Amino acid sequence: MDLKIFGYALCLIGAVAGICLTARSVATNMARQPEVQGRLFTVFILAAAFIESLCLIGFVVAIM
Amino acid sequence: MDALSTAFEEVSEAMTELIDSFYPRAAVGDLDTVGLTSNLLWYLIAGAALIALGLAFKKRAPSKDHVPHGVFVNGMEYLVDFIRNDICRGTLGDTWKTHFPFLATLFLMVFLCNLVGLLPTWKAGSGSMGLTLGIAVMSFIYFVGAGVRARGGWGYIKSLSPQGVIFPINIVVWVIEAFSTLLRLATLSVRLFCNMFAGHMVMGVFALMCTIFVRPLIAGITAEALGVAGMSLLWMLLLVLIYAVELMVAFIQAYVLTLLSAVYVQLAEAEH
Repeated sequence: MDLKIFGYALCLIGAVAGICLTARSVATNMARQPEVQGRLFTVFILAAAFIESLCLIGFVVAIM
Repeated sequence: MDALSTAFEEVSEAMTELIDSFYPRAAVGDLDTVGLTSNLLWYLIAGAALIALGLAFKKRAPSKDHVPHGVFVNGMEYLVDFIRNDICRGTLGDTWKTHFPFLATLFLMVFLCNLVGLLPTWKAGSGSMGLTLGIAVMSFIYFVGAGVRARGGWGYIKSLSPQGVIFPINIVVWVIEAFSTLLRLATLSVRLFCNMFAGHMVMGVFALMCTIFVRPLIAGITAEALGVAGMSLLWMLLLVLIYAVELMVAFIQAYVLTLLSAVYVQLAEAEH
């Protein structure tokens, strides 16, 4: 019954919510304005990398 | 399922062993006196490979009609063009030529260092906290140096708080901005370290799960054991997928590090 695992699971909720919101916004706006697809994809990858790094800090703390 | 339950009992020992194998250990010499950890050794090997790549490119690249020929020269030129257009010109604007060598070296070094760690038993240099902290310290010194060169020492310290804010709130905003500038060291290093460390850990865990389901089959070939070994094939498929994700993550983390360094340089040099 390691509490660190629950801490990591709580941290995951925020990270998944953030990435899903970003992906939804990217998909909607790619459909509205197809000429900015490349720029939107770059912004999506950047945002996902930032959010994921915070989530991975929690993962490493839970493992160690 | 007796064989399977004994296999599960051995999992926790195997997991502890797996986690222990990710801590840096001495590869050459002895860590107490003079020695290299295995992460540092592979980092130096990646550095030597980068120098070799650069020299090979320099030897093959100049052609009489200034058009690149061949796959290697074209590929390297595509990569360098990508760094120049996407990272440097996009964020830095006018002064991109002075900062391009540092940013290109940073990107290529971190990318190669991450890639080297993907081959079996080769370790990623960025998988240990000391090396990523070193990379972050280099980036920090570089963007503070760029700011000091653009504005002078006292001018750079004063520029941390935005103009047009009245006196007492000025100091508060300055403290917050200074703290966030120092925090960039921590976030740059921790982001790269955690991505590499956690990615390799997940791959190790999936490989471990593959081996667990094969153990009944090794004990004796029965129909039940074959069914259980089918699950092992499933874990192998997941392992291949995670490997593809790790390839992407190696590139993306190098890109994010370099892009953030370019943004910090631009913030340090920008005229308000």
